[in-house]
Amino acid sequence: MKNYYFSTKKMCVGYDNKPLIKEIELALPKGEILTLIGPNGAGKSTVLKSITGQLQLIGGTVFLGKDSLAALKANELARKMSVVLTQKLKAEMKNCWDVVATGRYPYTGWFGILSKEDEQMVDEVMELTHTTDIRHREFDKISDGQKQRVMLARAICQEPEIVILDEPTSYLDIRYKLDFLSILQEMREKKGLTVIMSLHELELAKIVSDKILCLKGEYVERYGTPEEVFESDFIQELFDMKNGSFLKNKKFAAYIRQLSAKP
Amino acid sequence: MVCKDKAPLKLFFMPRTWGGRKINRTYRYFTVLIFLGIGTLLFFFLNICIGSIPVPFPDTVRMLAGQKGDETITKILWDIRLPRAAAVLILGGALSLAGYLLQTFFNNPIAGPFVLGISSGAKMVVALVMVFFMGKNITVTSTAMIFAAFIGAMISMGFVLLVSRKIDNMSMLVVSGVMIGYICSAITELVITFADDADIVNLHNWSRGSFSGMTWENVQVMAIVVFLTFFAVFLMSKPLSAYQLGDAYAKNAGVNIRVLRACIVVFSSIFSACIVAFAGPISFVGIAAPHLVKKLLNTIDPIWMIPACFLGGSVFCLFCDLLAKTMLAPTELSISTVTAIFGAPVVLWIMIKKRKGSHA
Repeated sequence: MKNYYFSTKKMCVGYDNKPLIKEIELALPKGEILTLIGPNGAGKSTVLKSITGQLQLIGGTVFLGKDSLAALKANELARKMSVVLTQKLKAEMKNCWDVVATGRYPYTGWFGILSKEDEQMVDEVMELTHTTDIRHREFDKISDGQKQRVMLARAICQEPEIVILDEPTSYLDIRYKLDFLSILQEMREKKGLTVIMSLHELELAKIVSDKILCLKGEYVERYGTPEEVFESDFIQELFDMKNGSFLKNKKFAAYIRQLSAKP
Repeated sequence: MVCKDKAPLKLFFMPRTWGGRKINRTYRYFTVLIFLGIGTLLFFFLNICIGSIPVPFPDTVRMLAGQKGDETITKILWDIRLPRAAAVLILGGALSLAGYLLQTFFNNPIAGPFVLGISSGAKMVVALVMVFFMGKNITVTSTAMIFAAFIGAMISMGFVLLVSRKIDNMSMLVVSGVMIGYICSAITELVITFADDADIVNLHNWSRGSFSGMTWENVQVMAIVVFLTFFAVFLMSKPLSAYQLGDAYAKNAGVNIRVLRACIVVFSSIFSACIVAFAGPISFVGIAAPHLVKKLLNTIDPIWMIPACFLGGSVFCLFCDLLAKTMLAPTELSISTVTAIFGAPVVLWIMIKKRKGSHA
């Protein structure tokens, strides 16, 4: 068996003990990017929330390396896994620098006072994510796109081995989408960061992911490399685009063909 | 006109241009703490000096230092004014901190022990216990009073928690708290009406909220309880700061949310219980003081807010108690009358600002 950094065994997720998706089997080597795609309401967020421990698993186990996630101590897990959620972080009276600095939480002492190294780390990460220019701005008063970048900075500042991102590119303009994804790729090459995220932009998922998980219905629809997922008319099936009125429009039809094309 | 009004206000609140550099911010936090500390001392001495018999400041200091003076005045200072001022200082701080904890817990700027009905719940149980024991001619000790109040506070808190699970709405939570408060107050009134005549005066004064009649024994007990709890709360400042980010992010930071929530509930109930057991329910301090302190500090970071809130509450209560004693002397106003005059406008201000913010 290969050495996987992140894996799940018969993971079953859902709300209030009602399973939504059953028997999810994932295996991801260190430093790979896994992207979740699927139609709205397919359960992408549910899967991500279950992985981060925000939702109780209904069945199965999640492993980080050889350890079961449930067996890890809370602080140990915090040093290994960071998150960027769709739900906004509450940052009353905090500027962007403060928000990024909250990522240092698992490393500070009893009273949470930042050391010189912690502060330096925050500065470096803000430089890396191009957020230095808004460091003094109040977090509640910047745009959604800027917030998203600050949240990424915060997640990186936590020095994780794996980062979980729920639709991280939603509010970003095209330049920052690319910027965002290239930072993730850079982090994985430099530090072996493993990434699990959900994306709505199929064309981006196609080019950045090592593995793609397609969700729809009760079981995993398909799990594999971009080449395995983007073939023939699978994408059209996944998103129910086989027969829609938009197919009559030639330009739309061509766009869909281009989306489902092999990378 | 508008510009003229805004300029001094901005200077007072030290605008965001300060907020950037970390060093400057730390200076600001220390300045605020020192400022509040001096305010507490100042009003503490004013409370001792001013009263139906004014005592000049130098005389006060001399007598407190142990020198002999007029015997009656020494007695007034030592046995009446000093314990009372000490009680106001301790309970005011506790009240403010209880408010801050509840606001953090519910993520609601107008939460507090009074509006959520926690004070009234404590009051109800204390009244029941007092009437029961007084009827049997047993004196109730301070510790027993705190314990009774704590049970009452936990009962109300339980109801509020049940309601808050069903509805996630700031105003509805407060409305349900006020309702619980009314129910508890009604029961208290009922009990007082049926109590023996001799007890009524005592109970009636207390149920309206008053700092008068504090003894050194009271002060001793409340000091121990409040300072131990304060210490525990201060030790929680790091997980509290993560909790302020929201549940999901706190969890990812490695905070055990269930334990933390339980701690907040218990500690804020202890604070509320202490206040109610000794001074009765006091309105608005729990909301107004933390809010004003937050504006002064320009942060909600617990490590600064916890000590500053305590001092802020002390200053606020010492100031209000001074007015309660002197405004219509020799008649004494109930402390809630004064705190409401200064506190209620602050609550209105918070709600109006909140509305504006949510529309933006």
